[in-house]
Amino acid sequence: MALIEIRRLRKLFDGHPVLNGVDIDVAEGDVKVVMGPSGCGKSTLLRCINRLVEPSSGSIHFRGAEVTGPDVNVRSLRQQIGFLFQQFALYRHLSVLDNTALGLRKLKGMKKKEAAERALHELNRLDMAGHRHKFPAHLSGGQKQRVALARALAMDPAVILLDEPTSALDPVMAREVAQLINRLHGEGVTMLCVTHDLEFASAIAERVAFLDEGIVQVEDRLSVLYEDHAHPSIRNFFMKQERSS
Amino acid sequence: MWAEFFRDLVDQGPLIMRGLGDSLLLTAIVSLTGFFLGLVVFYFRHCQFAIIRLILRGYISFFIGMPLIVLLFLMYYGLPPWGVSLSPFSVAVIGFTFNVAAYNAAYLTTAYHALDSAELEAARAAGFRPFQVFRLITLPQVLRFSVPALTNQVIRNLKDSSVAFLIQFNDFFSRVQELAATNFMFFRAYLFAAVVYLLLVMVLVLIARQIERRVMIPGVYIAPESLGSSAV
Amino acid sequence: MAFSEMLAQLASGAVFTVLVTVACCATALAVGLLSACARRVFPFPAVIRALDLFAFVFRGIPVLVLLFLVYFGLPGAGIRVSPLGAMMLSLGVISGAYLAEVFRGALDAVDAAEIMAAQSMGMSRWQVFLHIELPQMMRFSVPGMVNEFTNVLKYSPFGYTVGIPEMTKQALVLSSATLRGVEIYLAAGILYFLVYRLLLVGVRVLEKHWRVPGMGPAHLQDQPV
Ligand SMILES: Nc1ncnc2c1ncn2[C@@H]1O[C@H](COP(=O)(O)OP(=O)(O)OP(=O)(O)O)[C@@H](O)[C@H]1O
Ligand SMILES: [Mg+2]
Repeated sequence: MALIEIRRLRKLFDGHPVLNGVDIDVAEGDVKVVMGPSGCGKSTLLRCINRLVEPSSGSIHFRGAEVTGPDVNVRSLRQQIGFLFQQFALYRHLSVLDNTALGLRKLKGMKKKEAAERALHELNRLDMAGHRHKFPAHLSGGQKQRVALARALAMDPAVILLDEPTSALDPVMAREVAQLINRLHGEGVTMLCVTHDLEFASAIAERVAFLDEGIVQVEDRLSVLYEDHAHPSIRNFFMKQERSS
Repeated sequence: MWAEFFRDLVDQGPLIMRGLGDSLLLTAIVSLTGFFLGLVVFYFRHCQFAIIRLILRGYISFFIGMPLIVLLFLMYYGLPPWGVSLSPFSVAVIGFTFNVAAYNAAYLTTAYHALDSAELEAARAAGFRPFQVFRLITLPQVLRFSVPALTNQVIRNLKDSSVAFLIQFNDFFSRVQELAATNFMFFRAYLFAAVVYLLLVMVLVLIARQIERRVMIPGVYIAPESLGSSAV
Repeated sequence: MAFSEMLAQLASGAVFTVLVTVACCATALAVGLLSACARRVFPFPAVIRALDLFAFVFRGIPVLVLLFLVYFGLPGAGIRVSPLGAMMLSLGVISGAYLAEVFRGALDAVDAAEIMAAQSMGMSRWQVFLHIELPQMMRFSVPGMVNEFTNVLKYSPFGYTVGIPEMTKQALVLSSATLRGVEIYLAAGILYFLVYRLLLVGVRVLEKHWRVPGMGPAHLQDQPV
């Protein structure tokens, strides 16, 4: 059974369906990529999984249990799901080290020293240990994203959800993040990533799901989507991507 | 009980209304004099003579850091032995004016620091004389930036005018206290005074919003609480 | 009476001035923080409306009127309040209402994405407030807090009207005894001013200690390097 199973997921905002029957599986150890045009509901999809947004109907199973079930503890659910934001969302009053250690101390109840050691370990893994005393305002975009990843990894999540992790980065930094994700993939980290950056998507996955008009239109190898243009909206989307990159 | 209070209130109505009028008069006068003195201080605060700038900086800082009531007492109790006896009203007007002007000058200065200095340079380069630059370019913008702070100061003046009764000025609050002293309904009297001040403040707030809507550049303004760090 | 003796008497009043100021500032902080916390942790329409009403009412009443209402009015309703207590309930609470507004503005400057990030980590609403919003809010509020604490110091002379022997009271006593009011009030004014400058220096030291490099309110944030 897959780690995350999404079936017929619907989400309405003000009576208007943004997600209208989405089916997606994320297997353990997988890197799943969902692409789609701006405003198609990519962020909404991710936010339904950790219930930052309440789904309207359908089901989301995480580790075999329904996330909207009556006896689900939302906070412990969220602790098992890492989340990476488009704008990094580092806590700007905390140093790199404290950003990474905050969740360990306040949510996992670790002592200050233990949390710092653990945080430093994660920062080391992402080559950010040398910057541990810096504050977010003094980091480049790529460095911020790495700290955000370290912060998520420190909590030892079962999966990390990435919401357009490269859209605020320049191409060089985006490539760096792609390499990083591949490395983590190799280490067995499960990830679900939404993006509309074709180059980035092709760098981290062979297959992608295409989300548009509220449903997953197609899921296939990128090369197939790219060449076959089965559907006019897909053709449009990928052709535009190609021109811009 | 409340009926009794209001009966006494109506009995003393004329006196109380006169007190209210005097409070409003004091507020209006010091708002104007404080505004204009504030402009003058602000102008010379940026003049070419370092010594004047220094003195005015000291003036602003001192009056922001010192209680108004001390200044009022200085004039009201301190001056008569020197042969200068001023009426409570004169003392209040003079004291408030210096106090309010210091605040207004500080607001204007904060706004001045937020101005686009390139624009001022351009005006100077275009051959305007310093006073023309001030009148035509600096002042209009600085005033617009400061509208919320300046209107807020007027509201403050109204509330602070109640302090004047401590130097025996017969303002609204002192008249209400006289009423309370006759019937011993202190709680009601003070509650009544509080409600009246609150209503007056509401009226001023509404007027201030109208002014803001007319003259302000949306989103660009100096918050009254920004005083703490910059201007002084 | 020698001038040095007068200064000594003023200084003895200054102790009470500082006491009143500290007590009222503490009250104001408590009121302001509670209001800010309630706004974020219990953001129900009724709570928000009650907080707005509170802030509006107490910013609209003169300190002196509320002080008299509490100290001279409440006994008539069977409630007796000490002089310092009356100062805290009037000056302290009014300043608290102003601080609540300062804090509200500062909370609005906290980046919504950071709040969402903290929530998505699994923090409760209270933890988000305590660990993310509060520390940033306090830093954004420094100018507003300095301004408000200065106001408290400047309204502290009202304490003499309810019998607190603070500096203005000492000045009143001295000036009626010596007829040297001008010098005495001038000296008192300078002492107040010194307390004010001391407050500013203290804040600057604290601010330096807590300063976070490159941190300003979200909408004033400079570009990443
Ligand atoms: N809280 C909300 N209330 C109402 N409408 C919302 C809300 N959140 C999102 N929407 C709407 O839902 C749609 C999908 O939004 P979402 O942010 O999920 O899109 P997205 O695919 O992530 O877009 P982008 O590529 O711009 O990030 C948009 O039309 C948006 O306006
Ligand atoms: Mg999005």
